[in-house]
Amino acid sequence: MLKCEHVTEKADALVDGSELSRRERFALRLHLMMCRHCRRYVRQMRALLGFLPRQEEPLEDARTEAILKKLDASQNH
Amino acid sequence: MSDTQLEDPQFIERLRQGDRDAFAQLVKGHHNMLLATARTLLSPADAEEAVQDAWIAAHRAIAKFEGRSLLRTWLTRIVINQAKMMLRKRGREIQFDPTNDPDALAHRFHNDGHWQHPPQHWELSGPDNLLTRDELRRCMEKHLHFMPDSQRLVLELRDLQGLPAEDVCNMLEISASNVRVLLHRARARLFEMVDHFQETGEC
Repeated sequence: MLKCEHVTEKADALVDGSELSRRERFALRLHLMMCRHCRRYVRQMRALLGFLPRQEEPLEDARTEAILKKLDASQNH
Repeated sequence: MSDTQLEDPQFIERLRQGDRDAFAQLVKGHHNMLLATARTLLSPADAEEAVQDAWIAAHRAIAKFEGRSLLRTWLTRIVINQAKMMLRKRGREIQFDPTNDPDALAHRFHNDGHWQHPPQHWELSGPDNLLTRDELRRCMEKHLHFMPDSQRLVLELRDLQGLPAEDVCNMLEISASNVRVLLHRARARLFEMVDHFQETGEC
C-alpha cells in the first residue's frame, strides 16, 4: 500500500500525464479512491498549476520590428 | 500564429531559406515566452539583452536547424545558453543539486508517511476562487521570486512552457531524476504557500 507522502511525489507524474507504469498508476488510483486527503491534494495541485502566471501574448508589432532591425544590423557587421 | 503553425515544416523551411516575414512571425510568437524563461535566471534588463542576443544567434543558425527537436525547444536552449553566459559574466551560476533544498511538504507527514497536517479545502470555483485572488497572485509572484533558480527554471520550462521532460533534461544537461525532484520541490513550495494562505489569510 502506497503511503500518502509517496503519493504526493508520484502525483507529479499523474498531473503531467507521464512517466508512470501501469502498476504505479493502478497503485495510485487505488490509494486515491480510499484517501480523501490525497484526492484533495491532487485536485488542488492540478488547479494550482493551471493558474500559474503565464506569458503567452504575442509581442507587439513595433517591438518585433525593433528586434528585426537589430538582426539586420548584426548581419551587416 | 499559433504554436502549431510555428512548428509547421513549411513554415520552418521558410525560416531556413531566410524569409524575413517568417522570422518576424517567429519573434512575435515566441519572444515573450523566451523572455519569461530568461527572467527566471536574470534581472529584467539582463533578460532582455540575453533574448536579443539569442535571436541573433538563432537567426545565424536557423539554416542549420534540422527539426530533431521542436523549434520552441531549440530556441529555449539558445536562450538558456545566453542566460548562462550572462550569469558567468556576473560571477554567478545555477546550482542544480536538488538536495540543497528540503521538500516544503515534508513536515506535513507523520513518520509512518501518512498525513499529519492534511491540505485545507480550497474554493476553486466561482467569484470566490482562491487562486484568482489578487493577494494570492502577489504572494505567488513573491514566492516564485525567492525560489531557488533551478526550481524556478524547471517549473517554467515544464509547467508554464509545457516542454517535454526529456527536452528539459537535455537542455539543462541534468538527469531525468533531478528534473523530477526539482519540479516536485517547486510545486510543493507553491502548494504549501497557497495552503498557508488559505489557512491564515497571510502570505
